[in-house]
Amino acid sequence: MIINGVIIDETFAEAFPMKGTRLIITALNAKWAMISAQAFTGFATSVIACGCEAGIEKVLDASETPDGRPGVSILIFAMGGKSLAKQVETRSGQCVLTSPTSALFSGLDNDEKEIPLGQNLRYFGDGFQISKMIDGKRYWRIPVMDGEFLAQEKTGVHNSVGGGNFLVLAESQAQALAACEAAIVEMKKIPNVIMPFPGGVVRSGSKVGSKFKALNASTNDAFCPTLKGQTKSDLSPEVESVMEIVIDGLTKEDIDKAMRVGIQAVCDLGAENGIRRISAGNYGGKLGPFHFHLQEIMA
Amino acid sequence: MSALTFTLKNAPAQRIDCSPLTPDALADKSAAEIAALELVIGNSSARVDSLFEISGEDSTNIQIENSTDKLDFVGHNMTSGRISVAGNVGAYLGHFMEGGELEVTGNSGIYTGCEMKDGQIKVNGNTGDFVGGARPGYKNGMTGGTVIITGNSGDRTGDHMRRGMILIEGNAGNYCGTRMVSGTIAVLGSVGSHLGYAMKRGTLLLTQQPTQGISANFNDCGSHTLAFLPLMLASFKKLDSKFASLESFSRVQRYAGDLGGIGMGEILVKL
Repeated sequence: MIINGVIIDETFAEAFPMKGTRLIITALNAKWAMISAQAFTGFATSVIACGCEAGIEKVLDASETPDGRPGVSILIFAMGGKSLAKQVETRSGQCVLTSPTSALFSGLDNDEKEIPLGQNLRYFGDGFQISKMIDGKRYWRIPVMDGEFLAQEKTGVHNSVGGGNFLVLAESQAQALAACEAAIVEMKKIPNVIMPFPGGVVRSGSKVGSKFKALNASTNDAFCPTLKGQTKSDLSPEVESVMEIVIDGLTKEDIDKAMRVGIQAVCDLGAENGIRRISAGNYGGKLGPFHFHLQEIMA
Repeated sequence: MSALTFTLKNAPAQRIDCSPLTPDALADKSAAEIAALELVIGNSSARVDSLFEISGEDSTNIQIENSTDKLDFVGHNMTSGRISVAGNVGAYLGHFMEGGELEVTGNSGIYTGCEMKDGQIKVNGNTGDFVGGARPGYKNGMTGGTVIITGNSGDRTGDHMRRGMILIEGNAGNYCGTRMVSGTIAVLGSVGSHLGYAMKRGTLLLTQQPTQGISANFNDCGSHTLAFLPLMLASFKKLDSKFASLESFSRVQRYAGDLGGIGMGEILVKL
């Protein structure tokens, strides 16, 4: 398959099941809601070392938030419910509770599977915390030095998908980056997904395993342009830079949509802007049960 | 199906215990069985059909017509469905209620919503004392649900209340929120004396400054913007009440008490 001179490889991205939730952070103004959300989603690029993957899903105006203040919705994913709960609790405690004027709400209902949100943070109130049941949901009012921190007691957990991806193969670093930036602009318009790496783009795609026993993952040498003459390379001579966009989403269909608009944005730049191929991280089925076939997505 | 309707034939001389006339209790009963049910009246009992004209068949939607303040325990233990009452009702309206809706066009007597757990009671009139309270000698008042009073409530509203919400569109009597353990009482009108007496936790939300002042057992914590208030006020929007049209606010003066006890309750007065 070729779109605007860009080859779409006959391959698939391989993704794995994760547990995810959506949180809504509000604040006195949009600036401080964003600061808190950025702190919460910091150091959350990959479960390999961060324990979770998180990102900002959407900026919300006051009419879209529970307390009528400007806010930000974020998605956070982990490999299991317990690890998700731990990450949500520590990040909420250190990055939202501490952030001036903030409040924290669940953005995802699931009565069957919930994890604590303000349920344990309330103890910071040292006995002065106040519970309020509003519309069947419990909220905690925790006295803090700038007033009160309001946090919903629990948030729902959704069976999600992590690790959807595609690779952009270009003739130069600048062209690969410009294409990925264009893709991220379009992909951010899709709900229920995040691209957890810095700016949504990762330049150090990995393969499973390493020659060093201590490592579970190592550089994807087949796509490293400087190793074209040194390893079994997957790159043609004119490809000088490869960048990857990784997508986590609440459902496989959400990731499908994000990949489609992202790849389309890259292809719109086309061969005339140095884009040669679109490929994907494919580990022969070892990594996970969700397969995103590039040509099917773009058909 | 039309609503199962009980029309009181004559004003009774003695009180009638109406606790058997709920959607739950009548769910599987035929018209003949319902007519033959015995209700306690005074120190004796009488068949339902000797006291009420009965019509309709939908036991999930019960209407009591021509009601008087002698009808006690209406909606006792109900968990679902709806009971609407045309006229006044007596004591213990919605006693032990666990769900469903109760609506009265007139006034209700003492102990409205006594120890209720869930559901909604709306009184389109005034209520007696001890709304949402606990029975005498018991320590747990209502633990959930909502009571809406379009008129005034009597004394000791929310006595021993543990959870849930009492919304009073008119005035509240003396000792409002007394011995309250948790939950929320909101009043649009005035409140009587001894507000929050022996209150442990919970919230008394007032839209008017109390005319008789705040008790010395409550300390002023200053004026504040509280984030939970817009959230709670927004939850009122779905109610058939003046509270639904209340303009959202978050600025309040906060008083903490009763400091004669643990002092974790609060009176919030709209600024």
